[in-house]
Amino acid sequence: MEAIASIKPETAHAVDTAPVVAPDATYINGSHALMRCLLAEGVETIFGYPGGAIMPVYDALYDYQDQLNHILVRHEQGAGHAAQGYARVTGRAGICLVTSGPGATNLVTAIADALIDSTPLVCIVGQVGKKLLGTDAFQEADVMGVTMPITKWNYQITDANEVPEILAKAFYIAQSGRPGPVLIDMTKSSQLELMTKPFVYERCQSLVSYRPRRIPKQEQVEAAANLINSAKRPYIFAGHGIQIAKAEAELIEFAEKTGIPVATTLLGQSTISTNHPLYVGWLGMHGNYGPNVMTDQADVIIAIGMRFDDRVTGDASKFIKQAKVVHIEIDPSEIDKIIRADAPVIGDAKEVLKALLPLVKPNDHTVWRNEFRKFDAIENETITVPELTNLNGKIRMAEVIDMLSQKTKGEAVLVTDVGQHQMMASRYYQFRRPNSLVTSGGMGTMGFALPAAFGAQVGAPDRQVVAIIGDGCFQMTLQELGTIVQNKQPVKAIILNNNFLGMVRQWQQLFHERRYSFVELQNPDFITIARGFGMDGQTCDQRDNLSDALDTMLAHEGPFLLEVIVEKEENVFPMVPAGASVSQIRLK
Amino acid sequence: MTTYTICIFTENTIGLLNRITIIFTRRRINIESLTVSETERKGISRFTIVIKHESREEVEKLVRQIRKIVEVMAVFGYLNDEIVYNEIALFKISTPLGSKSLDVETINKEYKAWVVYWGLDYVVIEKTGNDTEIFEFFGYLKQYEILEFVRSGRVAVGKTEKGLVEYLPESEWAYYL
Repeated sequence: MEAIASIKPETAHAVDTAPVVAPDATYINGSHALMRCLLAEGVETIFGYPGGAIMPVYDALYDYQDQLNHILVRHEQGAGHAAQGYARVTGRAGICLVTSGPGATNLVTAIADALIDSTPLVCIVGQVGKKLLGTDAFQEADVMGVTMPITKWNYQITDANEVPEILAKAFYIAQSGRPGPVLIDMTKSSQLELMTKPFVYERCQSLVSYRPRRIPKQEQVEAAANLINSAKRPYIFAGHGIQIAKAEAELIEFAEKTGIPVATTLLGQSTISTNHPLYVGWLGMHGNYGPNVMTDQADVIIAIGMRFDDRVTGDASKFIKQAKVVHIEIDPSEIDKIIRADAPVIGDAKEVLKALLPLVKPNDHTVWRNEFRKFDAIENETITVPELTNLNGKIRMAEVIDMLSQKTKGEAVLVTDVGQHQMMASRYYQFRRPNSLVTSGGMGTMGFALPAAFGAQVGAPDRQVVAIIGDGCFQMTLQELGTIVQNKQPVKAIILNNNFLGMVRQWQQLFHERRYSFVELQNPDFITIARGFGMDGQTCDQRDNLSDALDTMLAHEGPFLLEVIVEKEENVFPMVPAGASVSQIRLK
Repeated sequence: MTTYTICIFTENTIGLLNRITIIFTRRRINIESLTVSETERKGISRFTIVIKHESREEVEKLVRQIRKIVEVMAVFGYLNDEIVYNEIALFKISTPLGSKSLDVETINKEYKAWVVYWGLDYVVIEKTGNDTEIFEFFGYLKQYEILEFVRSGRVAVGKTEKGLVEYLPESEWAYYL
């Protein structure tokens, strides 16, 4: 334990009820202690929404507004997704501050999303006073119970003296190992009452029962290296864990030394530049053709920081059966969960790759790599080129993303929602910089993009942030336009409007004989809505105007909403039908 | 279906039982019995959970998911032949005036059970043993009127030379199944 902040007690801030214990008026209350903890952890930004049971914390925050940038969202779910966007681009925990009951339950979707996509969040939630716990008090919900299955850790603070230790634990747990959301349920009484000892903050460095392994065991590394060195047709699956570990450079060095082709998962995209000669594309239900079908040809799979989601494996019982598997993972419970690993390596992706590097032999798998290119040619001919060059009919989603990619030189942070536009964004954006895709992968949360783009922009003020949103998704969290405008964040949002819940419609077309069941939307005038919030925007429905519209958006100083009217019944291909094996991938 | 005994060593915190049982419910695994007590090491609790499952692989995954809980220090999964285990049962037997008299000698010598309480017109008999032994005794007692029967969860210690807490907290992650 290393003490980084030891702050002298000072006069307690006036509280709205008499403190329960006041042994010495020089001690601070729980709310002020919380503020000190956040500062000691280097927190700069809080996404929150006040309410009854968190009032004492907001009262303390009033005194700290010069040091802590609190952003008032419009709905607690927005706070959660904004904190996720912030955490994904910064690598540090995103902070949410909300009230009890509905404030906390509104946060639930974002917490679940953060857990499955390994995003560090510290959610501080108000709770009724200790004496009212369990009495069905106003705005009391069993938030501990509700969030237990969807948090990495949660804790209820009932005593102001607990604040420093619990916050230190919360930050450590959220940000170490496999990152995830942590929730602190803070009773109003603990926010109000005075600590009975001086405030001292010690950052947590380890816990007796939680000791994630960062440095891999040497024998596991050697076993993996032997398998890799003996491989004739090795293949790297690069997952989100590489970006979490900031191991992009190590991955590239490893791939270049060994000559092994690299495919990414959905969340692994932008780990490696799409024009890197070893990059072959991305895996998954709507991933590229070659990377998917070639999984059947590889003899050794090197899976790094990924968890074999069913959207990657298709029918897992038929996935990579012929191959030996090296599984590099920081979370031991992922080993053998879906795919049995022949050489598991538990550790941080960066540390494991550093340890592997001297043990792997230089190689050049040109012949093997070129096999991927044959499939690229097929995919280009049947899907990519027609989608980009067929100038009949309405604008296609592919064209918008392709043009955006060129205009931003592949350097923007792309924040996508969930559905067809998400897959198209992944297919056509040519990522050049790491950490450039923020999307809801595991949970597939519609409404994620707008608040997450806002959070990403706050976390990465120097980068161009562009949200790609479907017309359905946009209407789930559009109230956050207010947050974007109030905070003057130059987020650019593109709605790809096909007046449909496109992905569901696609499934209904392909697998339910075109029985379109509740997927068509009567949409509002999005630009009028944006203007109502004080945000500029324009609609583009002509191919000839698309380039100008994108230029206008990108050149605009503040936030901007661009609505592009796209082809109504476009489908995303390739596609591995749900439950099918990867080899049954469809090109049309 | 094979019986597995899962021993979980944890910090003693509120709500942890809930966090652990969630792992079972989410995978639709029924808990046959559950016992929690503090270990020889202060502040460390030991959960003994008995389940039945047809797939060892699934039980291994379950063990790893439990291990993932922050407050959990170690998890061990055992087959019956790898542990010494027992349960305790209490039988409340009606003994009104004129009823069939209890054969205390058989109860003591044959069934290794003891009368631990004499009420006015009932007795309480305590029997320790594994579930088979307890149900054998139950069968024997059926000739009397059983007013109440209660059985505890299983308690178990491994047959290895080492004490399990020796694996804590410095133990490496390992699969003990």
